[in-house]
Amino acid sequence: MAKKCQDYISDLNSYLDGELSAELCEQIEKHLGQCRNCRIVVDTMKQTVSLCRDGKAEALPAALEDKLNRVLKARWEKKFGK
Amino acid sequence: MNEERLVARARTGDFKAFAELISAHKTKIYNLALKMTGNPHDAEDIVQETLLKAIDKIDQFRQEASFGTWLYTIALNQSRTHLARQKHTDLRPIEEYLPGSAGPRGHQGHDPRLFDWKDPHRILEDNELRVIIDDALASLPANYREAFVLRYIDELPIKEIATLIGESVAATKSRVLRARLALRDFLSRAFEDRYGQEMSGLH
Repeated sequence: MAKKCQDYISDLNSYLDGELSAELCEQIEKHLGQCRNCRIVVDTMKQTVSLCRDGKAEALPAALEDKLNRVLKARWEKKFGK
Repeated sequence: MNEERLVARARTGDFKAFAELISAHKTKIYNLALKMTGNPHDAEDIVQETLLKAIDKIDQFRQEASFGTWLYTIALNQSRTHLARQKHTDLRPIEEYLPGSAGPRGHQGHDPRLFDWKDPHRILEDNELRVIIDDALASLPANYREAFVLRYIDELPIKEIATLIGESVAATKSRVLRARLALRDFLSRAFEDRYGQEMSGLH
């Protein structure tokens, strides 16, 4: 019996992340060639990750950095003694 | 100086060694906490609590994992404590994120979106898009958000995430996949509702 879309879904992430065997990749690609719905799902899954990755990492706020220096030092001195 | 020596020196009370150990990780922890809580104020608290805990527990660090991984485990626990009041809903079974599925358990009212959005940068301002993405991440239950962030923002291998979150590799894989599918669904809805015509690949 032919596989249905649902049969492929648990492998989609491994497929997108390049962790699937060549044989399974081939099966999935064949299915994607025939199934527009799954193609949309796969395309938008890809974009989902790239969108969430967008945007730079936030720098540590300077005020937090100052506060950490004080607070950590105080805890350190309490633990180890001066 | 290598990590092992820094840890040894920190244990004898050398604050400078400790400061050097944490310096490479502070910003990463802050960004993890930001993604987990969506709130700079909470993220700052989490960084501070994590590093204080690290001081308290430095004698317990066994060097089985790297210092960074150890710190990350503490940071995740602190994030969880902050998020503990959030309700733990579960996501739908994986197969229900695909069209044409009535869902074996017959979940009502879910209709996976098949909106074919293309490069939202074309029509959305960066800050507008940022809000939608933050809302999407916030819509995930915390344990799924955590798995997604570790996998795709921090780009950690599944095995390491499994260790960090204390789940099996199979459970971790499934959690990452469901998180990704749920985010995809959320974004598809948001984009279609707001910008359907302009963003569709068909127009």
